[in-house]
Amino acid sequence: MAKAIVRGISVSTGFAIGKAVFVNRRHHAEVPRQSIAPALMDGEEARLRQAFAAVETELEAARDRIPAELSEHRHILESHLMILKDPKLCGAAARFVREVGVNAEWALEKAVAELEKAFGQLDDMYIRERLQDVRVMSDRVMARLLGTVRTELAVEGRVIIMAHDLTPADTVMLEVGKIMGFATAQGGKTSHTGIMARTLGIPALVGAGELEEAVNDGDLVIIDGVGGRVLVDPDEDELAEFNELADQFEDYQRRIYRGCQLPAETIDGYRVQVLANIELIEEVAAVLDNGGEGIGLYRTEYSYLNRTDLPGEDELADKYSDLAAIMSPRKVIFRTLDLGADKFIASFGALDEANPAMGLRAIRFCMQHPELFKTQLKAIARASAFGNVSLMFPMISGLREVRRAKAKLREAQEELRAEGKRFNPDMPVGIMIELPAAVMMASMLAEEVDFFSIGTNDLIQYSLGIDRTNAHVSYLYQPLHPAVLRSIKHVVDAAHQAGIEASLCGEVASDPFCVPILMGMQIDCISLSPQAIPGIKRIIRQARMSECKLLLRDVLACRTVGKINRLVRDTIFHKYPEELNFFASLLDNDDLGG
Amino acid sequence: MTETCARTDCEANAEGQCVRQVLVANQLGLHARPASQIAREAQAFAASITLVGQGQSVDAKSILDVLTLAAGPGSTIEIRASGDDAAMAVEKISQLFAARFGEK
Repeated sequence: MAKAIVRGISVSTGFAIGKAVFVNRRHHAEVPRQSIAPALMDGEEARLRQAFAAVETELEAARDRIPAELSEHRHILESHLMILKDPKLCGAAARFVREVGVNAEWALEKAVAELEKAFGQLDDMYIRERLQDVRVMSDRVMARLLGTVRTELAVEGRVIIMAHDLTPADTVMLEVGKIMGFATAQGGKTSHTGIMARTLGIPALVGAGELEEAVNDGDLVIIDGVGGRVLVDPDEDELAEFNELADQFEDYQRRIYRGCQLPAETIDGYRVQVLANIELIEEVAAVLDNGGEGIGLYRTEYSYLNRTDLPGEDELADKYSDLAAIMSPRKVIFRTLDLGADKFIASFGALDEANPAMGLRAIRFCMQHPELFKTQLKAIARASAFGNVSLMFPMISGLREVRRAKAKLREAQEELRAEGKRFNPDMPVGIMIELPAAVMMASMLAEEVDFFSIGTNDLIQYSLGIDRTNAHVSYLYQPLHPAVLRSIKHVVDAAHQAGIEASLCGEVASDPFCVPILMGMQIDCISLSPQAIPGIKRIIRQARMSECKLLLRDVLACRTVGKINRLVRDTIFHKYPEELNFFASLLDNDDLGG
Repeated sequence: MTETCARTDCEANAEGQCVRQVLVANQLGLHARPASQIAREAQAFAASITLVGQGQSVDAKSILDVLTLAAGPGSTIEIRASGDDAAMAVEKISQLFAARFGEK
């Protein structure tokens, strides 16, 4: 048995075995207080200032190394540098050294504590959270003072990078070639670590809370990116088992990868478009490498997050146009800002909402901030001159909302025309179907738009009335619930009756258990994370439409989700026995009873 | 712009500081970006510059200090500066407020 097993959230699949190397740890140790004799104060203050200067130099170097396409990271580093130079941090600490006659470490702690007090009293949640940035910076300076800093990451052999949290500043300093995996104590599904790991094609876990307690530098660890576990100091059997799994996984990936550029067509000739969900333009390479036929969901929030100002129209238009041009003639669907719920723009702060998932988010937020919305609409419209661009609005609940959003788009296009800027006036406009209201209204909504994109993550959540991040009810998160399946089918049918395309994005699209059912509904297009494309394409290529239709018929005849899950599992396992070892299915958390 | 042209528009208070009242007219109030603009601008001057609002007085050269003012849209701030280039500092910082920190 391993010495310890730490659970985390898998954000990138695969297996890795290697030595743990901590890039940073939460700063735990009590800082010793030492009195400094007046004669030594100059030296102590100099030591403090040198530590600040060293971190500053390090950050400046990191900032200058950031490639232009990662400009978001530059903003974060800029604001960190600003804090580092702030008189209230370095200046205040230096003053404590002199006035109180204490060592630099204690003075720094005291300066941070004062700031914590001042910020803690603020009502504004966004500003209160800036304290995080102060802590990130003071931790770095503290590590310098205590001499616990790793100036150079002596990365030898196969290492697994561990951290309290990985910041962009940390990751740009890593030599990526030798890294086998990541694990961090903090972070969630959408954290920077996941994007980085998926791009590198290595496993990663985030939110592994006990990581820092359980793992020491140099420990041999296994990252199980399928099971979401870190095995610390594994025994020989475990090592053998995971070595074997890692080999099989590599072998399997090579095989699916080989066929990933082939069209996703069933044996009996039914073609599904397989597109990719992306968040960063850098992911385009992964989309094309993995056989993505376009971008079915470009999440546009990232340009607005992790920065203190708002991006301007030109900045966005440049970025969007680049994406459109690189992908051309392949399709790129831009989803307009889906902020709120768990993602906030720094400059607006988080709203004080009792129930943010049902609050001022997505299209509602945009309609309340017309200028912000128009800036983005103009930027997307401008990109439409450079490629095959479509636009879709998230969280639509009814006709009036679509019409108002479309009116905003027309307004944006009129402005562009007046300004003499180019755009495609026939850019397809669609909506996301995520609310049960939109499902019921589908046939009417279909008359207003050029396509539907079913966002199953939210649709399941709103249909079943469960918050999937709430551990008490997450067992009810059932993608194959009869109500969910009927909703999806209703939307696809309504789209087809109106002669428009129905596509689907959401985790369901990358679940090998769910995809054959969606195909039975004759979904036109699915959109999933780039790394999941080869596996899903392979499943589609081995399927027959006639079988998918039969499966759908049988599934719709079941009255309980338990029956559906059993039926699907038996059928799929029978058909694709070997595929499924490396997939964590959404069905895994169900009770097979009811 | 010259020192004198700014001076004409600037009042002096009892302690001989240059003072001017400004309105937080941008939509977002003194959030991180405006705060960092103020601090950056203030750091370019030798004068000591404080912002006063809601009975609180903070160092304009510190982004963290300016943030803790948490001045929302519509609130009034007094800029106070003393030192050789005080008038110019007040002028430059008022301009940031007047331009709503570049927000559209």
